[in-house]
Amino acid sequence: MTPKYLLKRLGQAILTFLVTMTVSFLLYQAMPGGPTEAMRSVILSQSGGSVDIDRLNRMIQLYTNVNPDQPMHVQYFNYASDVILRQDLGTSFFKNEKVTTLIMQRIPWSMFISVYALALGYSLSIFLGVMTAYREKSRFDSTVSSLIIGLNSIPYYIVGVVLIYFLAIQNNYFPTGGRIGSGIAAGYNPEFMLSLVKHAALPAISMGALATSGALAMRGNAIRVLGEDYIRVAQLRGLRETRIATQYLGHNSILPMYTQFMIGIAGVFSSAVIVEEVFAYPGMGLLMFEAVKTQDYPLLMGTLLVFTAISLTAIFIADLTYTLIDPRISVGEE
Amino acid sequence: MRTSNQNDSDPDQDVVFEVRDLEVTFGTNRGESRVVRNVDFDIYRNETLGMVGESGSGKSMTSSALMNAVVSPGETSGEVTYYPPDGGEPISVLDLDEEELRKFRWGEVAMVFQGAMSSFNPVKKVRGHFKETLEDHNRDVEAGLERARQILGDLYLDPDRVLDSYPYELSGGMKQRALVALALILEPEVLVMDEPTAALDLLMQRSIVSLLKDLKEEYDLTIIFITHDLPLLTKLADRLVVMYAFDIVEVGSTEEILYDAAHPYTRSLLNATPDLNAPIEEMQSISGSKPDPVTNIPGCSYRPRCPMADESCAEAEPPMADRGNGHRTACFYHDDVSDEIPIPAMEAAEEGGEGE
Repeated sequence: MTPKYLLKRLGQAILTFLVTMTVSFLLYQAMPGGPTEAMRSVILSQSGGSVDIDRLNRMIQLYTNVNPDQPMHVQYFNYASDVILRQDLGTSFFKNEKVTTLIMQRIPWSMFISVYALALGYSLSIFLGVMTAYREKSRFDSTVSSLIIGLNSIPYYIVGVVLIYFLAIQNNYFPTGGRIGSGIAAGYNPEFMLSLVKHAALPAISMGALATSGALAMRGNAIRVLGEDYIRVAQLRGLRETRIATQYLGHNSILPMYTQFMIGIAGVFSSAVIVEEVFAYPGMGLLMFEAVKTQDYPLLMGTLLVFTAISLTAIFIADLTYTLIDPRISVGEE
Repeated sequence: MRTSNQNDSDPDQDVVFEVRDLEVTFGTNRGESRVVRNVDFDIYRNETLGMVGESGSGKSMTSSALMNAVVSPGETSGEVTYYPPDGGEPISVLDLDEEELRKFRWGEVAMVFQGAMSSFNPVKKVRGHFKETLEDHNRDVEAGLERARQILGDLYLDPDRVLDSYPYELSGGMKQRALVALALILEPEVLVMDEPTAALDLLMQRSIVSLLKDLKEEYDLTIIFITHDLPLLTKLADRLVVMYAFDIVEVGSTEEILYDAAHPYTRSLLNATPDLNAPIEEMQSISGSKPDPVTNIPGCSYRPRCPMADESCAEAEPPMADRGNGHRTACFYHDDVSDEIPIPAMEAAEEGGEGE
């Protein structure tokens, strides 16, 4: 991997980020009742119409990082320089707190359920994909395959609602929402950990259901790999079955899916918006959902940028690490 | 079924593999496909046995059965007995359980495939292939790798460079040789080579063949060499097995088969062999098409294509007739074959007194 390649990929990622930021900024501004308008109406309604225009504009600028008096390009430039140079995403005008502070509070929770969901979904995808390929055309294969097709046809939030109904309301296995049981002290004690896992389980399972779509692709790859000469030679060489299943079949079947898996990280993160609402799980997604409901533009813009950054980072890492799992891909050579 | 008593092992020979009544069948939509039919033969220790026959005549299936490695859903039946060196207990290969079979494979019998290009795991270094083979057979890895280096050196490869490479970084010939080295890493008794040179150019083919001769001497190997390249085999093999229609039609020493072939198919096969010295009009292909594994031809399976066939060939399957010196052939008219089907190239060579 050459430094030149690294810089090039990094540049592309940054460019993508800037474009996303610009486009969403413009779209928000162009929307009827855009951020400054929304802000103005909120303040006017609170103060009963007795605020002078200068003070109003100053307040708007303070909150949104945008001065409504300035022309559009100056507004954009100010916003962009705040974001990039000072990592300042403005202030939520509903929660009255810095957007960055709000996001930082929520991000670990979203990370927690997303990683939980990804680990669950991907390991299940890989495992089921390989197993169904091994037993192609058996009853096990057709059952699991139909189940996965069914699961992928049902939107994940419906899966979430069904899970709540059966596992949390009908039976009390899991809590219906929240991220921690009430009255449990935070810290490294078993109750806290258990409560943490229990609260995250259902959201993670319903998000993980989204990630099992990989199982069918995995199955297809594994069937193809099973027909390869090197699998037969490995069997003739008297290698252990577990080695053949993991290092030969598993590894080679994952290769075409690696990038897809990494892009899937972004998908799982964005599904958090709805899943967290369904489970009343206060993470990034719920924050964004609330921001939409309350027309909290700085917060909305902020969460969107963070989601973008996460997706880009995942793809960037996927690009850089691809050569680790497939030595045939030489990164950075023209 | 051919009478098997005349097939019993030659007492003078040290037999390493004894194959009796070997059958390989596949169930297909059109019925049962019998791709190996009642095959009997012996493999002698430290010989090079060549197997020839057209594509789909059952050569590869027969050799896979030696390791009980017929791909599913194929069914193998019959007897395959392996005699370990130094008088160990004979092993019935088809009765081994999974773990025993795993240990048997590569430890006693190793196989090199036609697809050397794709015989290596593309995401694993060549060294890893050697290492895992040693590990899974509970061998000393350090000593094994040292041995690997030596074999690779014997095969005119730079050991460290090859071991540190990924398969895609090696050329076809290098991969082929690395695979041969991998096959020898556990010091097997028997090496099965299934068209190992098919994907290589002529020069590479010949150099691998000469390497094989040296390896055989150095490592006391029994080699089974499968190919449809008859001229190649004549330079390499001690004995030849000719297969036609899923069964053996002629067995004998290379000399016997080459100069005194007594089965019409073998003679036609020799006539069909391209030879730069022979004029093109003397080259004859065998008319007719190869038999279908699902249909059963009553009597002699070569009858539909044989110029000598008559009613008696349709009535019974010709038994393996013994022509002495271990030369056996499945033809009723084995004494008349040489007159009926001349081999012009051979005669020309004999007249010219050039030998070979």
